[in-house]
Amino acid sequence: MTNPSMAAAIVGAAESDEIGFALSEKGTTNTQLHIEAINNVCKQVGISPREIEGVFSAGFTPQIAEYLHIRPKYIDGTAVGGSSFELHVHHALAAIAAGVIDVALVSHGESGRSARKNQGRGTGGRGGADPWAPGAAFSGGPYGGWGAPFNYAHAMTRHLHQWGSTKEDFAQIAVSARDWATLNPRAVMHSKETDPNGGPITIQDVLDSRLISWPLNLLDVCLVTDHGGAVLIVSAEKAHSFKTQPVWIAGAGESMGHWDMLEMDDLTLTSAVNSGKTAYQMAGMGPGEMELGMIYDSFTVTVGITVEALGLAPRGGFMELFEGGKSGPGGSGMPINTNGGGLSFSHSGMYGMMLLVEAYRQLSGTAEDGVHGIAGKQTSAQTAIVNGTGGSLSTTGTLVLVADQ
Amino acid sequence: MTDYNKPIPDPDPYTSGPFWEGAKEGKLMLPRCEDCNRVHWYPRILCPFCYSRSISWFEASGEGTLYSFAVQQRAFAPGWAEEGPYVTCFIDLNEGDRMFGVLLDVDVSKPEDIFAKIGSKVSIEFVKANDDVHVPYWKLAS
Repeated sequence: MTNPSMAAAIVGAAESDEIGFALSEKGTTNTQLHIEAINNVCKQVGISPREIEGVFSAGFTPQIAEYLHIRPKYIDGTAVGGSSFELHVHHALAAIAAGVIDVALVSHGESGRSARKNQGRGTGGRGGADPWAPGAAFSGGPYGGWGAPFNYAHAMTRHLHQWGSTKEDFAQIAVSARDWATLNPRAVMHSKETDPNGGPITIQDVLDSRLISWPLNLLDVCLVTDHGGAVLIVSAEKAHSFKTQPVWIAGAGESMGHWDMLEMDDLTLTSAVNSGKTAYQMAGMGPGEMELGMIYDSFTVTVGITVEALGLAPRGGFMELFEGGKSGPGGSGMPINTNGGGLSFSHSGMYGMMLLVEAYRQLSGTAEDGVHGIAGKQTSAQTAIVNGTGGSLSTTGTLVLVADQ
Repeated sequence: MTDYNKPIPDPDPYTSGPFWEGAKEGKLMLPRCEDCNRVHWYPRILCPFCYSRSISWFEASGEGTLYSFAVQQRAFAPGWAEEGPYVTCFIDLNEGDRMFGVLLDVDVSKPEDIFAKIGSKVSIEFVKANDDVHVPYWKLAS
């Protein structure tokens, strides 16, 4: 079996024209956000959509290909929650390494905010669950389940109990995310001008914010926004034939432990322990060599648990990476979530695409273009670990990316 | 009719009939594999550990320990939305595997007190939703 490490590179990454809260009275649509982002990344890279051979998205692939008159040779609609996009990169790497395609597009568009505004709030309950799945009778709505926070809160409670962590430890993750957001003008929580809860914030602000699901407070919880994003991935042979710099896919892995949290054995350990291992092995690198972390932050607890599963901190010791703002701008430790993350930048429902976009920008030296980042946001990182988490701490995709040398 | 105002579970008689029959009599019935002897939850047509299709049901103790919980400050589903804060929980069953449910009779204004009870004994209590469905809830053992 050949190792697909470095067989492909990301050569561009872009967002939709606008992102954030309600963008207009009418709101945005999923198609609009996809197409804007794809159009932006193609212009950036200098490629026509017609040259795209593989189309990857979370369940929206035929609509995208049709809209853009793409006639793909490879169609992938893997939709396993917010981690889907890291899995898409893994799949694109495999398809390119196998020689099936040379040019792949991964895109995302989700009008999470507009949908909420236009259709009212979630209603909980069954929602037509498969009667054989636990959600129909043994978890979720009938037992007071709702949305996403209710589930994740149990994981945080368990971490507090099992490892002796504190709410303050988790709050620091939200504080550092806000600090990064102050350097990202497109972040929803960029400043007090963009939102009353905008950056910077303190640990006390997090603890004082409204309780959502104890132990989660409002500022432990990600945003609900509209956004789109897209990345282009090409074979090693083509990596230097565009206007942009390649960022190499050194390692990739995916895994899952459960879908319903009812089936999660240890609420403080995700399958990132396995997807991470696969990615590190493929890359021939370890956690000690990672210089930037792009870690899915649906909640503060998601980040804490994930960095431990990836070996970036010991089990129960995630706070070592964050205390005193170590992971924030100018901090002494590994920078984490330099775009502000789902907690402070943008989170449409499935956030994993934005991890890719920011990791590409950081490793291609374009994180400070004035629009997506101002002075202080660009780090010197030459390697990055990217980890998407989907569902209820369920599915994970891990990538090890390295800058072009 | 009862005045049960929460979303009512939708039992699937094929995979979980004995659970719901037992619930009506206040008994926790669990599925166990006749080949590897392990208990699994949620109910399936085969054992998720050894894939045997020889599953039988037995009356369990109805007891377990509190594995984790959260205090839900808000909800959107009818019944729960009007409930005010309530506590959801994961329970490690004495016989093995884990159930999700609602923990009754705890002071929702003192999550730290509930936190101190993680690992403590709990027991099941069924609440009648209608003639066919009695819903499992949990209480800390006194």
